[in-house]
Amino acid sequence: MSGAAHHAVQAQGVWKIFNEGQAGEVTALQDVTLSVEDGEFVSLIGPSGCGKSTLLRVIADLTSATRGQMTVAGVTPHEARQKQLYGMAFQQAALFEWRTVRRNVELPLELMGWAKDRRRTRAMELLEMVQLADFADHRPWQLSGGMQQRVAIARSLAVDPPLLLMDEPFGALDEMTRERMQNELLRIRRETGKSIIFVTHSIPEAVYLSDRVVVMSPRPGRITEIVPIPLGDSRDEATRESEDFFHGVTAVREALRGHVGGAEARARVGEV
Amino acid sequence: MSDRLKYIWPPVLIGVLFIAAWQALVVVQEIKPYLLPAPSLIAENFFGDIDLMWNAALYTGTTAFLGLVFGTIAGIVMAFLAQRFIVVDHLVMPLAAGLAAVPIIALTPILNNMFAITSRTPRVLVTAIIVFFPILVNVTRGLVQVQPVQLELMRSFNANPRTVLRTLRVPNAIPFFFTGLKIAAPLAVIAALVAEYFGGPQEGLGSRIASAASNTAYGRAWAYVVAAILTGLLFYLVTLALERIATPWADRSRSS
Repeated sequence: MSGAAHHAVQAQGVWKIFNEGQAGEVTALQDVTLSVEDGEFVSLIGPSGCGKSTLLRVIADLTSATRGQMTVAGVTPHEARQKQLYGMAFQQAALFEWRTVRRNVELPLELMGWAKDRRRTRAMELLEMVQLADFADHRPWQLSGGMQQRVAIARSLAVDPPLLLMDEPFGALDEMTRERMQNELLRIRRETGKSIIFVTHSIPEAVYLSDRVVVMSPRPGRITEIVPIPLGDSRDEATRESEDFFHGVTAVREALRGHVGGAEARARVGEV
Repeated sequence: MSDRLKYIWPPVLIGVLFIAAWQALVVVQEIKPYLLPAPSLIAENFFGDIDLMWNAALYTGTTAFLGLVFGTIAGIVMAFLAQRFIVVDHLVMPLAAGLAAVPIIALTPILNNMFAITSRTPRVLVTAIIVFFPILVNVTRGLVQVQPVQLELMRSFNANPRTVLRTLRVPNAIPFFFTGLKIAAPLAVIAALVAEYFGGPQEGLGSRIASAASNTAYGRAWAYVVAAILTGLLFYLVTLALERIATPWADRSRSS
């Protein structure tokens, strides 16, 4: 295997410029270089317009980079999309309301031509994982926002892709639900070993979930800092109260402010 | 069931009270039938000539049904073309809006001359044209107005446009289609009935109402009006039932 195969995502000098050479030219991404290891959880954080969603969309081949190199699981984003090497979840659950919960999870498998029985077994397996097996035959509207989002996550895992791309998936949920969902996601990650790229604008969320937090800033959208979060693999509710967690939050917050003390705070995180 | 009854009895009660008040008004004020016949007189004519009522309703209902079927098919086909060729979409919508303002029913005498006036054809045609627009507009909307995030999701699944049409746009359009059909179905009955006022075979409700009225048989004229109302209601209720069967996921909007 080549070296690239060990990376879930590699971006090398990626630019995304909208309306290049025209009046409304916007540099959404400027010279973005980033490697995400296999099995790593990386969050993209930053204010509106920092390009975090754009970066995710370039990785997902929902839009293309203007310049630069991008590989996803060792292939181009386009090939990765064709081979279904990633699953995606958005802020809106985007469930199809005419389908039952189970058939929503089956959708990507259906599109890949899986036989009905196999599809059904797989969907039930995933609904077990997100603890919604009892709701398999319910309609999406009968579920709460958090439950709908769990269905969306199950759907993104359906084809068992090595990489999950999540665009503020918990952004519309209340705080309590949100924290529960974060624990769920960490559990799913432990069980499946997926690489995850997670866009958020919540600092505690990014710190709690990630191995590394990529801090971005707007106009032009670019990476300003990459903050490692050495909280280990077994994170739980107690982690949220721990000193290391607060250090992580401080480090990310200061990086977001472009604070000179950011480096110092990061050094503290590194020590402990 | 008791829940449903709770919603049914108030309008029924109001209907009964209204008819009672109408009857009382006509009797007490001794209103002449040509101004306003009593409900009892209308009922007498309706049930006395129930066979005639049935035959007239059957004739007009058949016209309306045929027009509804052809107009719906044409509307759906055009809607698919409209969403397929986005240019057509921009073209069709203003065109549809403009044509909707044309009193299509006024074309009947012309269509009567173009096609055999002695046949049902011109009437079916007028009905179909009237049905066409609400179907076209609503189905096109349903095919086009999908959530952008659902389109992105389909793209992430590497779905081609035909798959997107089949798995996303068409199911999305079904409730919209029924919204159009609920407008179109009663409209079809009205169109089929009014089209009879411009000559041709005299078997339908429209012809019967006109001839009863000109023969000063006001009770009978009104009895045919009642038959027309019932026909329109039947069309609407059948559409409603079809909607419930075809869109079980939309129970939320109906139960709340």
